[in-house]
Amino acid sequence: MPVPEKFGRDDIMGRGPYEKSGMVADTALHPLKTAKEHFEITLDAAEDGDERTLDLKVQLWYLPYGTMDSDPFLWKEYTETVTIKL
Amino acid sequence: MLTKKRAHIFLSCVASLFVFSLLFALPTTGYTAGVGKDGTIAAQKGKATTLDELIAMYDSSSCYDCHGDKHEEWSQSVHARSVYGTGRTAATFRTAFLNGFMDWAYSGVESPEDVEVEHLMGCAKCHLPQLADATDDVAKELVATVFDWMDAYMEDDMETFEKHQETLLQLNINCLVCHNRMAITHKWTDGYPQDGVVYGFNEGFHPDDHFTEMKPSPILDESIFCGQCHGLGPNLELDNPTQCATAYGSHLWSYVANGGDKSCQQCHIHESGLGHNMQSYRSQVMADKAVDWKVKVRPMVWRDARSVHPKVMIDVALTNNAGHGIPDG
Ligand code: HEC
Ligand code: HEC
Ligand code: HEC
Ligand code: HEC
Ligand code: HEC
Repeated sequence: MPVPEKFGRDDIMGRGPYEKSGMVADTALHPLKTAKEHFEITLDAAEDGDERTLDLKVQLWYLPYGTMDSDPFLWKEYTETVTIKL
Repeated sequence: MLTKKRAHIFLSCVASLFVFSLLFALPTTGYTAGVGKDGTIAAQKGKATTLDELIAMYDSSSCYDCHGDKHEEWSQSVHARSVYGTGRTAATFRTAFLNGFMDWAYSGVESPEDVEVEHLMGCAKCHLPQLADATDDVAKELVATVFDWMDAYMEDDMETFEKHQETLLQLNINCLVCHNRMAITHKWTDGYPQDGVVYGFNEGFHPDDHFTEMKPSPILDESIFCGQCHGLGPNLELDNPTQCATAYGSHLWSYVANGGDKSCQQCHIHESGLGHNMQSYRSQVMADKAVDWKVKVRPMVWRDARSVHPKVMIDVALTNNAGHGIPDG
């Protein structure tokens, strides 16, 4: 997200529009650009069996006010059952 | 010799008198720069001195009878409650007063009675641009209304709460704000928007009782029309700059810069099918269009010194299809 600067100085984030001026950083998704995220999930060591099954769910949430407690929107969801042969 | 000199002095007196009368004549019209500024709604009606007068100045209720479809769409958009918002906007206005100019040493505001229109334009520039057509009394009344509305809520006085809520909801960006007041951006090039005229695409007779003429707006279908209120960055023309929406800046320097060529209207009014109900992600149509995403899952077996771990690698690619950054802010 665009991280506005407080009164256009230093590296302190501004919150209200009355004190916001300039930007400290901008981590928004930018138009016509592709952003990539990479995740790795390592499971506990395998004890027995020659196969592990995992129900995977990947979600994209839009948080207008920055937290899951305040009016979150689910934008995308992806599910896949992954089988890992050991 | 002497008489000649006298004549000269006399003449220069006449000349300076003439200059004087010119200087006095100009300000009586009230408008020094801009031809046709005296024909705007605000100039014709005179500055609003109460909130009710300001609401009446841009009253668009006559439009609803004939343009019922547009009214229906518009009333679902936040433009129809640009000061109230979801309640959050009005509440933030209060914070802006308290933590903003009422708290700052050099703003000249110590109590709500000191507030002038100029103090509120840092927000009203976009949330209620017509406030510029009101007197400072209206600025004080608006501040008092926001305070009384919040106080009534805290005190559980629902009758007073709803009365003020009603007023705040009528302060909005309605038909006449867009189809008259904001319909011309370059007023010295294209002329000032005139009272009695609705600006669209066509020219001719318009069957409203008061707005009897139809004229083309040169920018109604251009991004700059929306850009007037959707922000470039800090509002540097103000004595104490504010910053809220920056979507128009992102549109110019990120979307167009990356080869984007659609206007705000193309996406928000036409392709969305939402018409005058201009929406963000709160509408499913817009949320669905916002990003393309690809998820790629790769299972593998990871080996530590002696143990074997099942492992999954996930690659997510997100492409923003909007005409600006997501989110705006
Ligand atoms: C008595 C009915 C009536 C009322 C009241 C009315 N309109 Fe219209 N309006 C029309 C008609 C009919 C047209 C012409 C449509 C056409 O020729 O394409 C029109 C055209 C317009 C256009 C121009 C569209 C274009 O393509 O150029 C705009 C903008 C507009 N009206 C806005 C308003 C606004 C704002 C109000 C309220 C102040 C209003 N109208 C009140 C009937 C009405
Ligand atoms: C440059 C125009 C502009 C100015 C100046 C401006 N705003 Fe905004 N504001 C917007 C727009 C447009 C939005 C819509 C959402 C977006 O794009 O961020 C918005 C959104 C908001 C929201 C979020 C509403 C919600 O429900 O999420 C709040 C709160 C708000 N503004 C308050 C203020 C206050 C208080 C001020 C003055 C200190 C102010 N704004 C100044 C244009 C502006
Ligand atoms: C936020 C600004 C905004 C507001 C508020 C607004 N309009 Fe519009 N209106 C537009 C724009 C922009 C267009 C041109 C869209 C395009 O590019 O085709 C338009 C087009 C129109 C047209 C002509 C095109 C058509 O689709 O027939 C009419 C008529 C119209 N509006 C009436 C109204 C009425 C009535 C209201 C109030 C209920 C209203 N508008 C409120 C921005 C606005
Ligand atoms: C007169 C100023 C003004 C004009 C002109 C204007 N807007 Fe807005 N718009 C606002 C304000 C202010 C808000 C935020 C109101 C709030 O949330 O309190 C807003 C909100 C929005 C939102 C919803 C944002 C959200 O977070 O839900 C969209 C979408 C939008 N406008 C699109 C447009 C488009 C497209 C145009 C041009 C056709 C346009 N606007 C013209 C002032 C304006
Ligand atoms: C290529 C299509 C496209 C164009 C061009 C476009 N938008 Fe959007 N806009 C979208 C989509 C899709 C969303 C929904 C995503 C979202 O809400 O963040 C959106 C969301 C918004 C929002 C809500 C922002 C937020 O924080 O969620 C506003 C305000 C807005 N647009 C205004 C504008 C304005 C003003 C313009 C022109 C300067 C414009 N849009 C141009 C597609 C577009």
